[in-house]
Amino acid sequence: MNNMSPEVALHRISPELRPLLCSVVRNGRVGLDSTNCLRVTDLKTGCTSLTPGPCCDRFKLHIPYAGETLKWDIIFNARYPELPPDFIFGEDAEFLPEPSELPHLVQWDAGDPECLLQLVKELIQQYHQYQCQRLRESSRLLFEYDSLLEDPNYGRNMEIYAGRKNSWVGDRIVLVCPSFISIMSSLSQDTALDPGEDVALLSVSFEDAEATQVFPKLYLSPSIEHALGGSSALHIPAFPSGGCLIDYVPQVCQLLTNKVQYVIQGYHKRREYIAAFLSHFGMGVVEYDAEGFTKLTLLLMWKDFCFLVHVDLPLYFPRDQPTLTFQSVYHFTNSGQLYSQVQKSYPYSPRWDGNEMAKRAKAYFKSFIPQFQEGAFANGKL
Amino acid sequence: MYHLLMGIIECAAAGGSGIDGDVSIMAASISGYTFSSVCFHSANSNSDHEGFLLGEVRQEETVSISDTQISTAELLQVVEIHNHDPCAQLFSFYDYAGKVNEDNLNRILKDRRKSVIGWYRFRRNTQQQMSFREQIIHKQLTQLLGVPDLVFLLFSFISTANSSTHALEYVLFRPNRRYNQRITLTIPNLGNTSQQEYKVSSVPNTSLNYAKVIKEHGAEFFDKDGVMKDIRTIFQVYSALQDKVQAVCGEVEQSERVKEKIQEDVNKLKQQIALRKRKTAEEERRLREAQNAESHPTSEENSEPSETSLLSRVAFHAPSAPERPGTSPNPPSYSDLLSQEDSLLSSSSSPTSAALLPRPQAVGSPGHPTPGPLGMGLGLSLGLGLGLGDSSEYENLVSEAAHLPMVSASVLAQGRPAALSPDGDARGSQTS
Repeated sequence: MNNMSPEVALHRISPELRPLLCSVVRNGRVGLDSTNCLRVTDLKTGCTSLTPGPCCDRFKLHIPYAGETLKWDIIFNARYPELPPDFIFGEDAEFLPEPSELPHLVQWDAGDPECLLQLVKELIQQYHQYQCQRLRESSRLLFEYDSLLEDPNYGRNMEIYAGRKNSWVGDRIVLVCPSFISIMSSLSQDTALDPGEDVALLSVSFEDAEATQVFPKLYLSPSIEHALGGSSALHIPAFPSGGCLIDYVPQVCQLLTNKVQYVIQGYHKRREYIAAFLSHFGMGVVEYDAEGFTKLTLLLMWKDFCFLVHVDLPLYFPRDQPTLTFQSVYHFTNSGQLYSQVQKSYPYSPRWDGNEMAKRAKAYFKSFIPQFQEGAFANGKL
Repeated sequence: MYHLLMGIIECAAAGGSGIDGDVSIMAASISGYTFSSVCFHSANSNSDHEGFLLGEVRQEETVSISDTQISTAELLQVVEIHNHDPCAQLFSFYDYAGKVNEDNLNRILKDRRKSVIGWYRFRRNTQQQMSFREQIIHKQLTQLLGVPDLVFLLFSFISTANSSTHALEYVLFRPNRRYNQRITLTIPNLGNTSQQEYKVSSVPNTSLNYAKVIKEHGAEFFDKDGVMKDIRTIFQVYSALQDKVQAVCGEVEQSERVKEKIQEDVNKLKQQIALRKRKTAEEERRLREAQNAESHPTSEENSEPSETSLLSRVAFHAPSAPERPGTSPNPPSYSDLLSQEDSLLSSSSSPTSAALLPRPQAVGSPGHPTPGPLGMGLGLSLGLGLGLGDSSEYENLVSEAAHLPMVSASVLAQGRPAALSPDGDARGSQTS
């Protein structure tokens, strides 16, 4: 019952209400976290138990917001599908939005499939304001919030959650790292990344009023995380005690920006490198990674001795030098593999450009190959 | 602790008056037939259902006083739901935005508007919590109807997935309060079978049919004053019995007096017989002594105290028959007591100090006439008081007896302990 796929939910709901729910589960994205869809659970009916199905008309909607999940009950009446729904706001018993602020409720149009989704978005907005109201009670986060609000970078792209006194949840503020996103979009022009799917959110939780326990967390969509080298590569600095968000957030964003730029730079460098090799080795190129430019394989001949060179470009190229794997085309090892030798250290400097690297690589091949040939003959068998 | 419940002040106020902060507790009850009617309407609807609750709210104030003299007043608001008014459809008195339309409201309620104390909603398979629209509507209804503590009854029907079990849950809210929003709703006469008493509700019976039938057949049971005939008959029987008892009382008193008189006569005669016997015995003794005295000279002291005692006895009509108090059928009359102490007269002529000690008065002792000349007083009390065995009478006698001549005082004083118990414990005889 709990992890219901959207299709099952759509199947069980009363036919007249299906279009409304459809737009919610299929296209529904509210809030900053656009990777998390709205989820529907606990479909029940308001008709008598003798009514033949499908006749479900009430359900629980899970909405991600500021690192929390809001669970709101939405109640329709299957026998009167033209009527607007009613809501139960779960644990937020005191949240009571003003109906005049909900135009899609006042002018509910059951014929418009987007109506429910729009209404939910309006409710979220009201909820955000409600949380801001609750923050009036604790001045610390309010001060932070107000200061961030003035900054055009973060301005409207924030979700705030005022924690509950009785639970372990502290106040939390979630915001989008804006510069980050702009860089990501530039990256996407070069790669096949879809910026709509990606998100970078900074969540800062204040566990107590004096801001002595502050826990920042960075949420990245999986593709970004991968592109940046995994979660281990991303360490954001701890929140300085006594510091404030208006200083901290730009710091984090800058860090991310730098990292991303570095990665982008690396990408460009790799591309340059491969391009240079292509032009230098021309026909000798067997294959190369045309998307990420991380691999290159060359088939070269020297004094009638043919050999393969596999070039592996690391993530932090050009800082880290590429790994060269020489492989003989004639000789096998005992385990049935082609005889190969890996070279990790050879003359290299990250300051060289692609051309220079290609030239130097060529020179290195020439110097190394006799050695390799001997080794192949000695250790491998034909 | 010693609690004394003092008065329950009831003020019937339809609609309740003044919310006294959060101090007052609310109790709510709904009559069984109203409850089942609401359930019937709700269960038969194929969607959510709503309506209004009609009834009465009254306030009961209980003041309790304890030994520490701190009195606490407890305000209890009692809500009684007498009837309900279901709405034919949803959104009948409010619009999509939840705004209540007063005209529609009046059209639905008509003249029942003033007895509205709350409203209810029925929705299947939902949480027991007020929804967004319900809260908005409630606020407006509170204002429009002018009921500060408007209640909201939420019915929820939960069915299990395979429809094997259905549960009807109901919660009564008073959302206008900040705390203690849920109230227990009791249905009188619906509960566990250990309760034996059938509770009658205070719902006024407004049925016309009922009134008609009662009027037709009422003459057989009620008289012109509206009092049940049986009651009057029983009262008459009671009065007759009372009269008879009163009459018998009089007769008993008379016969008692006669009996007492006869008893006195009998005693007198007994005394005379005894006297005569003694006389003859003494004469014989004297004769014998005279015969002996011719040979031995003796004193005649012995005769004198007996003579005085004889005199005193005669004066007080004291018998010499040695009757023990325990064996006589009547409680010992005062004269009996005096006779017992004959022998003591010779030994102690001086009164003991005990005789002069004032006896404590019994608390709440019935007032009785102060004896005038002591002889009269004694006589009176002998006749009346002794028969009843009233200790207070005895005590008063003793205090008066201090003025008596020495001899009789000692007799009185010594006679007392034998008859009375506990001695001088009058004050302590009050039980707590």
